[in-house]
Formats: sequence, C-alpha cells, structure tokens
Amino acid sequence: MTVTQETNAAEELRVVGKRLPKLDAPQKVTGQTVYAADVHMPGLLYGAILRSPHAHARIRSIDVSAAEQLPGVRAVIHAGNVEQRPYGYGQDNIPLKPDKVRFVGDEVAAVAAIDEETAHRALELIRVDYEVLPAVFDPFESLAQEFPLIHDELPDLIGNVSMRWDFEDGDVDAAAAEAAVVVEGDYSSPQAAPAPIETHAVIASFAPDGHLTVWSPVHMVFMYRKELADCLGLDWRHITVIQPPVGGSFGGKIDIDPHDFITVMLALQARRPVRLVMSREEEFIGTRTRQPIHIRLRTGADAEGNLLFRDADVVSDNGAYNGWGSHAMLVAMNTITSMYRVPNSRIRSSVVYTNKNYGGSVRGFGNPQATFAVEQQMEELADALGIDPMDLRLRNANQSGDVTPQGMEITSCGLSECLRIVREQSGWDERRGKLRERNRGLGAAALIHVGGGARIYGSDGCGAIVKVDDSGQVTLITGASELGQGSETTLAMIVAEEMGVPLDAVHVINSNTDVKPWDVGVHASRTTFVAGNAARMAAAKARDQLLETASELLGAPIDELHVRDGTVEVVGAPERQIDYARLARRRLLREEGSVVMASAFYDPPTQKQVDHRGNISAAYGFGAHVAEVEVDPGTGMVRLLNLWTAHDVGRAINPMSCEGQIEGGAAMGVGLALSEELVIFDGEIVAPNLHDYGMPTTADVPRIVVNLVETIDPLGPFGAKGVGEAGIIPPPAAIANAIADATGIRPRAYPMRPWKVKEWIDTEERSHVIENGSPVDG
Amino acid sequence: MAELFVPQTLDEAVGFLESHAGSATPIAGGTDVMIDLRTGGVRTEWLVDLSSLGSLAGIDLDGEQLRLGALTKIRALEVDSRLARRATALVEAARVLGSVQIRTMATLGGNLCHATPSAEMPPALLVHDAVVEIAGAAGERSLPLADLFAGPGRTTLEPGELLTAVRLRIPASAAGSCYLRQTVRWSMDLAGVGVAASMEVDGAAIVQARVALGAVAPVPLIVPEAAEAVVGSELSPATALEAGARAAAACSPISDVRGSADYRRAVVSILVQRALRIAWLRATGDWPEGLLAPINGLLAEEPA
Repeated sequence: MTVTQETNAAEELRVVGKRLPKLDAPQKVTGQTVYAADVHMPGLLYGAILRSPHAHARIRSIDVSAAEQLPGVRAVIHAGNVEQRPYGYGQDNIPLKPDKVRFVGDEVAAVAAIDEETAHRALELIRVDYEVLPAVFDPFESLAQEFPLIHDELPDLIGNVSMRWDFEDGDVDAAAAEAAVVVEGDYSSPQAAPAPIETHAVIASFAPDGHLTVWSPVHMVFMYRKELADCLGLDWRHITVIQPPVGGSFGGKIDIDPHDFITVMLALQARRPVRLVMSREEEFIGTRTRQPIHIRLRTGADAEGNLLFRDADVVSDNGAYNGWGSHAMLVAMNTITSMYRVPNSRIRSSVVYTNKNYGGSVRGFGNPQATFAVEQQMEELADALGIDPMDLRLRNANQSGDVTPQGMEITSCGLSECLRIVREQSGWDERRGKLRERNRGLGAAALIHVGGGARIYGSDGCGAIVKVDDSGQVTLITGASELGQGSETTLAMIVAEEMGVPLDAVHVINSNTDVKPWDVGVHASRTTFVAGNAARMAAAKARDQLLETASELLGAPIDELHVRDGTVEVVGAPERQIDYARLARRRLLREEGSVVMASAFYDPPTQKQVDHRGNISAAYGFGAHVAEVEVDPGTGMVRLLNLWTAHDVGRAINPMSCEGQIEGGAAMGVGLALSEELVIFDGEIVAPNLHDYGMPTTADVPRIVVNLVETIDPLGPFGAKGVGEAGIIPPPAAIANAIADATGIRPRAYPMRPWKVKEWIDTEERSHVIENGSPVDG
Repeated sequence: MAELFVPQTLDEAVGFLESHAGSATPIAGGTDVMIDLRTGGVRTEWLVDLSSLGSLAGIDLDGEQLRLGALTKIRALEVDSRLARRATALVEAARVLGSVQIRTMATLGGNLCHATPSAEMPPALLVHDAVVEIAGAAGERSLPLADLFAGPGRTTLEPGELLTAVRLRIPASAAGSCYLRQTVRWSMDLAGVGVAASMEVDGAAIVQARVALGAVAPVPLIVPEAAEAVVGSELSPATALEAGARAAAACSPISDVRGSADYRRAVVSILVQRALRIAWLRATGDWPEGLLAPINGLLAEEPA
C-alpha cells in the first residue's frame, strides 16, 4: 500500500513512481555479472594473509625465510619489509602490525604466490614469535581498568577509552522528580556481522609507469583512494579505483581495511598484479562487524503519558581499533534524544577498546541497538501507566516543524501515519495483550533515521554529469556507487523524468574514480537524496541546453516547449517537433559546435554537529513496525508470525525498489533480533560460518507487509528521502515487545536465542518500574 | 587430492575398502565428506564412490517390515506417503535435515555412518527398533542401530565394512511416532536437542514405547527407562512428565554454541513429553493422518 499525504497535482510524473525492475537485474540473475573475484588478467598472483592467533600479544620476531624459498612464492611481506603509516580514525591502526597484535585475526604478514594453495602453504611456513599478553574482552572491564592497555602507543589515550561523548539538554533531574512513572533497565546487543554473500575481494595492479589501479567493491571510494595514498606513501593522482558490481555490502565494504593496503603492498613487492579474496571464515574474523552497544536507560513520563526525560549511560564496545565504527555511538545518541519528543535528555557515553574484531559501519549504524532500548521502554512505560502503547507513541510522536534537542530540523514527518497504518493492519487494538494464552503476542517499534545525507565530513555532496550524445542516448555519470541497493536504477529514473525520456534511454556510469565526479560515498541512506538531487540538477541543465537549440529551430520561446519521450514539441502545435538526437547533432555537427553536457554538485544545506548539536541531515526518515510472535515456553523458541511495516519514504521513486530495501532491511533486523551473533570465547570467534552465526533463512522470516507513506519532502528529489537502512532498525525492539506481550517477561538483550528466552521465562525477568518515586513490580 | 574409485558391484566396493583400509573413504551423497575434505576433517588417498551401486537404494515396506537401502536419499524418505502415515517420526526427521538441496543428495547410510551426535535420522530410527545390515569382506552381519555408534564421528564398522541397509518394524495399526527438535533457526540448522518417541496402544493402554535422543550425548541414545514410565496405562501428563524427567537424567549434554547442558536437559524433558503426546494422539487415531507436527511440537492448547 502506498499512502501519499500531499502532492502537487500539476506535477505529472512519467517515470518516477513506477514499479520498474532494476537495470542490472538481468545480468545478475543470469550469472553474467563480473564481480571483483572474477576479474582476471595476465600474470595475476594470489594473495593470502597471516593473522594473529592471539587476542593480545607482542610480536618478538617474524621469520619468513622458509616461506620466501617455497617455489611459486613471489612476495612475502610483513611490517619489517614494507613502508606503511598509521591510518584510520585516531590513527590507531596500521595494515601489517609491527609490534603488537590486538585481536584474533589481526594482520601480521602476507604472501603473494602463483596459486592459492601455494600462498596458503607459504603462510604455514612463516614463524612468528609472540609474547602473549593479558587480554580484555568485556567492555565494562576495559572501561574500569587501565590494564591491560590495548593502545599503549597512543600518548593521549586514558586507559582503553577511545572516546567520551556526553550530551545534556534541559534538566533531567528536575524532570525525574516530577515524573509519575519512570522505567529503567540495561539493554544490550551482540557483536554481529554484515555477512554479505560476496566476501571481500581486491585486485591491485601497477602499470610500468607506476600508475596503480585497484579493483575493489568499496563504496566510499574517494576517501579510499586518499587513505591508500596517505598510508602507503603513494601519489593519489596516480591511483585509479574501479568498483566492480558489489555482491552485498550492508556497510561492511564502506571502510578501507588492512587487506586493501596489503594487496597493494604485495603487488608493489611482487611487481605483478595480485588478487586477494576473503574466505567465508576470514570474512567473519577479519572484516568489520556491528559493535555491541550496552545501554542503561531511564525514561520518565507524567500521568497523561507525556514523555518528560530520557537519561542514558552508554558503552559502545568497538573492539581493537576505531575505524568509522566508533561513530555508531553518535547515531545511537540521536535516537535516544530524538525518537519522539523528549523535552529533557542526558547521555554519558564511552567508546572503549577491547581485544576483539572491531566495529564498522553496518546498516543502521548504532540505531537498531538504541531503538531496542528506547522502544521497549515506550511499551514498558505505557503498560505501567495503563495507556495503550500506540496511544503513548502518537501522543509523543515527532511532527513536521519540530527541532529536536540536538538541533535536528524535522521537515517532512509521516511517523503518526506510519503508526496508524501498522496499528490498523495488525489488529493491534483488538489483539494486543489478548493472545497470551496461545503463547502469542504483538509488539511495536518506530524509527527515526537520517534520510537526507549526514554531514560527518567537510562536504556531504555528490557530483553528477549528464551528457546527450549524437544518438540521443543520455548518460549519467554519477559519484554514487551501486552496491545492490538499486541506486543505478533510481538515479536513471530521476534523470529520465527530468529529461523527459524513457528509462531505457539513460545509461549510468558510476564505477571509476578517473571518470566519476566526487562523492562522499554510500552511507547514511544518503544516495537517493544527495546523488538524486545532483543527477536531477545536471539533467535539468542538459535539458535546457537542448531546449535552447529547440527554441531556435522551432521558432518558439522555451516556455512554450514541452518534452515527451525525448521529443520537444511546441505546446498547442505538436506537429512542430524535434527529437533529442537531432537536437544534439544540430549543436554538435556545425562550426563552433558544442556537445550537450552539464554537471552539477549537490551538497545538502546541513551542519556538522558541534557539541552534538546541529542539523546533520536535510531530511529525516520515519517508520513503524508491528511484529507478531509465538513463543514456545518450553524451549524458548520464538516464531515470527507476521511483520507489518510502514515507512515514510518522502516519495517512492521506484516503489518496488523501496519495498525491496525495506523487506531486505527488515529481514536483517529479524536475524539480529532472533539469531545472529558472533559468539566469542577467549577472544576467538567460535564457528565463523553462516550457519552458526545464525543468518536467518526464509523459514525464519514471514511475508513482510510493506506500506509506503509519501510525505513529499521539500528538499528531496521529487520529494524522496533515504530508506536504505530504515528497515533493519525496528525489528529487534518490535520482536522484544511482542515476546513481552506473549509472555510477560522483558527481553533485555538480543539475539533472543531460545535458551535466553527460556532463561528469562524461568527467572521471570520483568520491567523495573518506579511510580511516584517508589519501585513497583513490572 | 584424493583419487576416485568407482566400484560397479558391492563386492568390488568392499574388496577395495578392505585392501585400502586406512587410505580409502566411501562417499555417497557427499554432503558431509566434501565439507570434511575441504576443512581437513578427512584426509584420504581414495574416495570410493558408491553412487553406482543402485541396488543399495530403495524403500521396501512389506507388512510390518520396512527395509531402507543405505543409498536411499533423505528426500525420498521425506516425501513417502506410506511413511508419513505409519512411520511419521522418520518423515519428521527427514524434513528438517539440511535444506531440500542437501536432502536430495544426502543418503540415509551417510547420515548414520557420519555418526554426528546431533544427526536427525538415528533417534527416529531407534524408536522403530532399527537394525543395520553390514557387508564386509568376511561376509554379512547385522546389529542393532544403537550398537553402530561408538562416539562423535565414530562407528563400530570394521575397516572395509559398508552399511548396506536399515531394517525396521512398523506396526500396522494402533501405533504412532514423532520426531521433534530444538534449533535456533526454523530450517537449515543442527538440532540442539532431538527427540523421537513411538508407541503401540492396545485398548486404552500403551503396550510398548520407545524414547530416543539426539545431540545430548556422544552418541544417539535410546532411553528404555523413559519409555517404561508410560507403558501399562493411557498417556497422562504425569506419566509423560516422569518419562521426560528420566530422559533428562539419562542424557549427558555438553555446553556449546548451541546451548548450555542445563538448558538442553530441560528441553529434553519438554520435548519428550510433547513427542509422547503426539505419538499417543497418532496411535489412538486422534491426530489427522499424515499431518506432521510443528517442529518443536508446541500445540495451540499448551498452557503458557
């Protein structure tokens, strides 16, 4: 179902709003897509990485002599024979570890050989002498004590705390004293993985003149190129990065990783192209994860159900290095202060180092973790107050025109409409609280997430070039990156709409840094909004060039011209017409001719937050989910029976694509809620495979009902807002609330694997409620 | 890399395995062996491909006697309507083993001889008094299925011996069986606990019963004392509870990534009660014929 709240009736759309298959789908379903691991070239060598078997150890010495002598080995590298510099947020990482390893999987040495088998045999011949150090895995231990110190090389660091971020707005203590009801609890989340089906793969090749070409499925490609150059001492003007089609990222391929640098260093030393492809086990052990975030939260409300405050102590366990993953804490903060209207809020947060694989920028980026706490407390509060949780949500829902405590300016907002839709479709009013004798329950959760970019860098912009050649074919060259989310198709639709041509007239080029204009990258659900606006602006300019020529040729002013299917007509005299191809040739094939080409750069009107205040995004996305579960009280097994979703997408450029993003996100959220976890024992990931990790199957995910709410955002391209991450955010909270409705217990950690649910049932884990200053039983 | 030997007859297969004892590994569906080869769990010089020994596949039901060839695909058990009516536990075990693709390749003999403690088929077969037929260079022999298992990944087969068939007794009437399991995912998962139960009913009394467990001991377990708790009367919550308690006491689960020992023991008790109840409903005709139970056996009327 699509609900459009307001629309400009004069705006007649021909392509935007249509359900169209993705442009790259035929190649993918017929197996013709050439992914990074499929790239071949003469003389290609195979890379492999030796990783630390210890969670924390000093490297005394590395002996690679036997590996170097193995026939077929072309390069063996380690910190002692390469040039590399620290990189990453806080400069706390380096590709090949020179003196210390900090988690099981840390990179120590690498080999390039004529085949994979030889490369792996060579790894076995490398002798590393380690002095094993005490390790710390628990973030609270890491927070409390300075020993063992994980980054003793960073002089400004106090203990193992990499970041402390606090925020306060209003007077929480005064609000707490006035509150009729306060609920409090500790909520935690596990280390999880993006687990894309395509594992990471990189190819590096140096030309004889020293020019480096890297094939990598990365999607913050311009930062990637700069970091490669900075770390390895290369001239970034002589690096080309090519992005092959991506077989899934979910954020796992945003950041540059040690294996990227290592592949380049291997190619440099071997003087041959090198390809490095991660095994599934390595993908879990050696690439980025979703950080566990532990939240102690209090929420208070008055007797009518008006929220009075939120007060949170948050510890983000980002593992051995910062990466961008450390910043997931900031997204969690946005949700704690800004999901619903919260007049007083206070957060004390720490990002701590532990001796574990480190966090990255996985879809949702801190938001599922925070929403798990915030949205459970909404239902805990409602139950304590005797108010229906949906009524409590609607009473406190964010509205258009609101500015949140952190200065986020909410323009378009369909939250209330989303809540009303899932309430109605799930039969909430008739069924919630009434299914317990059948071991069933309903639970809800809403979301707020950036939907108009996120200014975390100097620019949040994206460039676009649109050209029309002598055949009339339109080409969009965009800074955006396609990673399966469908941006190629969405951007082509925006250009087709703006130019007045059919979709199949538009080609998209988006995968080569030598060609494409600058873009921050794919993150923060920003591509449709930011790259979409850039593409639309460039398309409008290219169209105006054509109209200018058409005006001359047809003898009519531009405002009397109309474009239909790539043909310009005079309004009221459709026989006076000329198509784009002829117009393009008329401009080109003459003395002092010109090509039809225009460029644009769109940088949203947003602010980098200072002291956690500022309008970080040009638009905010909202949504609401209701989950229905059946809980087996004997085994603790939870079956998800239904999931109803409604999302404020601004405008659905391609409804089918929006639904796919939401369904896919929600399915990932279901996995987070019920089964996915990297189980770590003594610092080692136990059973790093898709089965034990708990990737959900189709049997675990019911048919997901998706409703699109169109609020027509004032700044979005045709009113669109980002939706790439939204779907993953509510399910852990909604499913926890449904389990609470089915059983009366209160889940405080996910994944809600059967034995945990069973334990909560057996120990009668309940809500902690304080009414008028006195504790009462939840 | 291992070499492949493709015998044309059972004698040839057995002879080759005998003469290459310690350096040859039989392969049927390959769903376990191929993974073991890749991870290094199996190192072998020869793979002996049994897939051309077609006579070792087949489901023969003759009165109360059921004979299953070792090369019978798990998928063939899953879709057999006679088994769904009369040996429901077998079908309920077969339908949750791996994925459809895995079941289409995997064989019954392979599932038994791989001797995974959590394997689906052993408990379901044990409650039907399964006997395995074994061929070796010294001739044929048979033994109760429970005696095949020596430990995780280990059987009592001698070098050169091949499991060729499984024989079971399937009562023609007034009988029922059931297989249930606990998992994290609802498909493509290994059992944290697997439970099978069967019974025969005469009038209103249970005259014979069997309870078997998977994934909660080094080998699949048959628990006679649990079954005895329900024999002699109709099934009641009290007798089922006692059976569950005896089964929980008899098992020796480990704590690992699929649950703690205490949790598994508690789940054994629950699933034994449910499996007995569903077997009872089947034996007394109070369960729709051919309808499979929910994977965890949770029925709508069970109180929270």
